[in-house]
Amino acid sequence: MGMDESGMITIYVMGKKHRVPADLTIMKAMEYAGHQFRRGAGCRGGFCGACSTIYRKKGSYKLQGALACQKMVEDEMYIAQIPFSPAEKKTYNVDELKADANTFLEYYPEIARCLCCNTCTKACPQDIKVMDYVQAALRGDIQEAAKLSFDCLSCGLCAVRCPAEIVPYNIGQLARRLYSKYVMGPTEHVLKRASEVEEGRFDDEISGLKSLDKAELQKLYEARDMKV
Amino acid sequence: MKLSYYPGCTLKTTAKSFDGSTIASARALGIELVELPRWNCCGTVHSLAKDDVMHYLAPIRNLIRVEEMNSQGLVDEKRAVTQCAMCYNTLKRANAAANDDTEKMKKIRDVMDEEPKYSGGVEVTHFLEVLRGLGWSKISDRVVKPLKGLKVAPYYGCLLLRPRGFGIDDPDNPMVMESLLETLGAEVVDIPFKSKCCGAYHTVHMKEVVADLSHRILTQASDGGSDLVATACPLCEFNLGSRQKEMKSCFRGFKQIPVVYYTQLMTLAFGLGEEASAFGLNDPDPRPLLKERGLH
Amino acid sequence: MSGYPEYMQESLRLVEKTRPERIGKAFPFMKTEEKQKILKDWHPDFKEGTKRMLKIGPSKGQLMPNEVVDILESHPLIGPGDIDLSDIAYDVDVLIIGAGGAGMSAALLAQESGLDIDRILMVQKLRLGDANSKMSQGGIQAADGVDDSPTRHYLDIMGGGRFTNNPDLVEILVKDGPNVIKWHESLGVMYDKNPDGAMKVESGGGTSRKRMHSCKDYTGLEITRVLLDEFLNREIPYLEFTPVAELITDEMGQVAGAVLWDMDSDEYLVARAKSTVLATGGFGRLHIQGYATTNHYGSTADGVVLAYHVGASLRDLDSTQFHPTGAAFPEQIVGQLCTEALRGRGSQPVNKHGELFVHPLETRDVESSAYIRECYERDNGIVTPTGMRGVWLDTPLIDIIHGPGTAEREFSAMNRMFGKFNIDIRKEPMLVFPTLHYQNGGVEINTRCESNIPGLFAAGEVCGGIHGKNRLMGNSQLDLYVFGRRVGVFTAERAKKARVGKLTLNHIDRYERWLAEAGIKTDRRAPLLLPEYRGKKTLEHQLKLL
Repeated sequence: MGMDESGMITIYVMGKKHRVPADLTIMKAMEYAGHQFRRGAGCRGGFCGACSTIYRKKGSYKLQGALACQKMVEDEMYIAQIPFSPAEKKTYNVDELKADANTFLEYYPEIARCLCCNTCTKACPQDIKVMDYVQAALRGDIQEAAKLSFDCLSCGLCAVRCPAEIVPYNIGQLARRLYSKYVMGPTEHVLKRASEVEEGRFDDEISGLKSLDKAELQKLYEARDMKV
Repeated sequence: MKLSYYPGCTLKTTAKSFDGSTIASARALGIELVELPRWNCCGTVHSLAKDDVMHYLAPIRNLIRVEEMNSQGLVDEKRAVTQCAMCYNTLKRANAAANDDTEKMKKIRDVMDEEPKYSGGVEVTHFLEVLRGLGWSKISDRVVKPLKGLKVAPYYGCLLLRPRGFGIDDPDNPMVMESLLETLGAEVVDIPFKSKCCGAYHTVHMKEVVADLSHRILTQASDGGSDLVATACPLCEFNLGSRQKEMKSCFRGFKQIPVVYYTQLMTLAFGLGEEASAFGLNDPDPRPLLKERGLH
Repeated sequence: MSGYPEYMQESLRLVEKTRPERIGKAFPFMKTEEKQKILKDWHPDFKEGTKRMLKIGPSKGQLMPNEVVDILESHPLIGPGDIDLSDIAYDVDVLIIGAGGAGMSAALLAQESGLDIDRILMVQKLRLGDANSKMSQGGIQAADGVDDSPTRHYLDIMGGGRFTNNPDLVEILVKDGPNVIKWHESLGVMYDKNPDGAMKVESGGGTSRKRMHSCKDYTGLEITRVLLDEFLNREIPYLEFTPVAELITDEMGQVAGAVLWDMDSDEYLVARAKSTVLATGGFGRLHIQGYATTNHYGSTADGVVLAYHVGASLRDLDSTQFHPTGAAFPEQIVGQLCTEALRGRGSQPVNKHGELFVHPLETRDVESSAYIRECYERDNGIVTPTGMRGVWLDTPLIDIIHGPGTAEREFSAMNRMFGKFNIDIRKEPMLVFPTLHYQNGGVEINTRCESNIPGLFAAGEVCGGIHGKNRLMGNSQLDLYVFGRRVGVFTAERAKKARVGKLTLNHIDRYERWLAEAGIKTDRRAPLLLPEYRGKKTLEHQLKLL
């Protein structure tokens, strides 16, 4: 088919053929074709992972993952959406956990099944080294798991593709919480200021400001020292 | 000399003393063990099914990392050094499969299309082989505190010695650890069960099997007059060491005996200090005995 | 290899040429009179013909954008006869409408305050976790710095809001700030820190101290996913893909729950609740004045409509926040947010001649007006192939000022967003233009998050009065958690004493009467629930601007 002079190309949405403008994202192309999203659309900006999409390009046997709101359509693209992955999220009390490999093995024992096939990494629309962070968690390197998984949107494409049935984004989420809470720990000056507020240290100052009229407050505002 | 070092998952979690003492004793001998970047679990336990291609991905990916390290000039040779007997066995046998079976290797390459092709040229070695290659006199030169009066029973377990062609020594009569221990100044107690299985993974769901097999090994060591047992595998260390609680309750008259990694004895003989030896992580604690012998 | 078309290259060369002299150059802040003038002349809020007075209800006479008045002067989706109120599907102490930052905080705190999880229900129009909260990039303000104080923060907010904010709400916002950060850390949120362990903080528009706490440029994502993980851990009941069609009242005039609508089965469900919390977010998908928006798919101001149907007061809806730096090129990402933190870390707004034309960190209303003036009055903007105008945001300055690798490390999201279209923001500037961003006003609340209708609470972007006529960067994130937590506590408290009477939908009849009496004839219905993008309408929403 190819792109004609009007700039239209062919895509297949769940098998149905449509002619759409070539410069649209998958999401907008589906809407152009008349589809109103209920599932499969969220922030529309690449931040929430709601629009997980699987597609093949013509002539390629490879199945690829993308976010519909960020990926442009291509001629003869075969598209399907995966707006939900039936993954089990374990419940835990983060206050009672230890930041080591055994925590992962206890809550997500399937992590030991990792074949190191890297299929998860290939499915990830955020270019995250998914296998690497799962492996880091497996050997108790919480910091590495947290850092490598940071840009994860929990879109679910890795979980849907993993042959060992691991849900990598659950591992990443647990690693990050453990890293922040136990490896980094709370921040001194934040705790200090929170106590000071609780003790009422700023009550009088702020009451004072509240009692000023607009003109006085404005004067103070304009005269305030900026340390940026 | 810089060599690629593959620690494996266990050395980073439950066998940290093996990892630390290996790196320290290697350094004392002028070998810098450079950890493989982005290494993944070796897959543990080589898959025997001929059509099982999936289980080769994990170890071969690590061998590709070794090739990369070498081509980037980070290490001197295309050689991976490992310490964990399981990792050694898995990596070495996967490497052999990659070199022997082109059909299998093609499939693996197709699946791992995001990696560079593996040329097959990496040598997988165990740290004991590196030591043997260095020469015992070089090691002897480094000894500052000979382990005089210390009677040690070396214990190999299974995976370091089998199958033939992959083991680091003769499975019926290995000698490499014996030579090392004598070089360190210790007195070797040769026990017949030094290469008999400790019970391996039965430790997970059939502890009594481990208790049975391991207690026989330890009893031989005690009966032979050993002060402690030196091992080269983290699973053996766990089975022989931590499972002594079960052995005590199962076998009347069982005498407890400390179990350490051979590299810990190296750090002791090289005088590298407590942090390198990390004897506090062993169970049972060997320090009282070592103190008694005037070595700690 | 440039990501920009050939005809833009000359301007890009000028930007590169002037860069060395612009590094660290201080452009003076505008004086108050200048600010007031530029707002009046160029801020979209002041454009003729874009607003009209609301003709019905308790906030009759207030000026609001036409798009907002349209949905308020619409018929409700259902009539009283459509629903069998005796068939109660859910009976709870707290019904939380919306699962963004405010909604989830409310659920967690309601549970922590002693409510049994079965007495809480959170309903979400779309996917759990989908909200504007998740999209926030640059940071959250809190006055926990050694050289900072809640008092300073208070002054910054009041000034930024043009002194129209409700002082009691601002006081709570600033005082609770440090505690919110403490709470986040205890849950395991990964804030950026300096090597010495102190919080890494940056400046925002109108802030007198660096107090923007960040998690790279994925701040909202990091905080909300931790909260979501915790929410799921506590097994609090929730429903996804279940928007609210209408609130329910009782014969005592309280709000007593809501008519839920299951998007999958198209059926209505009655939820009775002692307290109902609106945590429904903003109105970006109304595309005020045809602007593109940074907001998520569901931002159709449902909460404002629902609240108004039962007679709640609204305020400050005449004030709309445009974020100065929405992407303007390429066309596929027009309107998407480019965090203010880019300017916080040194990027400068630069016109087609390579000149810095305004201080990079004026408050958003002033900054947006300056960019619009630069493009339209002074004709110093770049025109894109689709007719959109924009100014450069000189992002290569970030690595130059803070060292190579900074942009890659701190602006993952931005690198990725533009990288997909072959623009490397470390080497080339972004093209930006103001984009519809935040609902400054909304449902009026008191310090207990109560609206003027008993039983109806609100928290988050749906509320008015906290930010006055203009919100500062990082304060919406703070607002969500401060007031989200409070509403959880207060609704749990209220559950002990409140009694729900006989359920009714009579307020719908009353609303229809208001419409009829004001002579409003329309076939519009509200709440909208989803924006309409099907067919050729998709193309309309991509292009139009002024």
